[in-house]
Amino acid sequence: MSASLAPECNEVKERYDTCFLKWYSEKFLRGTAKSDECDPLFKQYEQCLSKALKSRGIDTMLKEARDDNRENDAEHMRPKR
Amino acid sequence: MKIFQQSTEFDYSWEEVSTSNWRKYGPWNHKTPHVVAVDTLSRKVDPDTGILRTERLITCKQSAPKWVTSILGGQDTSLVYETSYVDPAVKKVTLCSMNITLSDLINVRETCIYQPAASSPDNKTVFSQRAEITALCGGWQKIKNSIEQFTVERFQQNAMKGKEGFEMVLEMSRKVFQEQRDLLRLQQESKILKEATI
Repeated sequence: MSASLAPECNEVKERYDTCFLKWYSEKFLRGTAKSDECDPLFKQYEQCLSKALKSRGIDTMLKEARDDNRENDAEHMRPKR
Repeated sequence: MKIFQQSTEFDYSWEEVSTSNWRKYGPWNHKTPHVVAVDTLSRKVDPDTGILRTERLITCKQSAPKWVTSILGGQDTSLVYETSYVDPAVKKVTLCSMNITLSDLINVRETCIYQPAASSPDNKTVFSQRAEITALCGGWQKIKNSIEQFTVERFQQNAMKGKEGFEMVLEMSRKVFQEQRDLLRLQQESKILKEATI
């Protein structure tokens, strides 16, 4: 799996990525995913990452990007035809 | 504005491609050293549509020639914001990305789609990529054109390396899955292994 931009988050990221990949291939693609069992790991990773994003000022850049991305969401999250 | 567009086919099923896409920039890919980190910012399955939406932050490190850095600045690390949408019902992955560094000087927007190939939907996948590049830096049109041209050429080179690297990931992924299946079968067939825990 790929590294995190914050090396201190690599370990928890690896655990989350491994969990996600298993869930994606074994449950999500087969239509049997019920709950997101990797969520607890994601929360740990997110906690670590958000600190790094904040300290580098990336969080404010992301806010702008999210605003710019609204069109994509509208186009690709449309309910099924 | 300049447009970069291409499409290519992979000899793997959509399920394999869409799974491997999540580790495209991992250690199995030696062809894209310019992608140094990929972080997941959020991830959620939409309860109404069943679409998996993921936000990622991609960190790239790639040096540029001097004439480019003299216009865009000397930073060699760039950040890309990506949202992706996986619709398992129609077997479609859509990845939308934009640059978040230097965004006041240049605007790069890319959309990539993975879908089963019409010719062989069970074991081939089509990848299509389209990027729009617009230089925003003030000044002569000539400079803007050269910056856009440089970026398109970079896209072309990176896209080629990206495909080669992704082929490596797909191959390794299939190998590893096969090994896991073999191990499982062996375990089921062998009494000794059945009692051991692997």
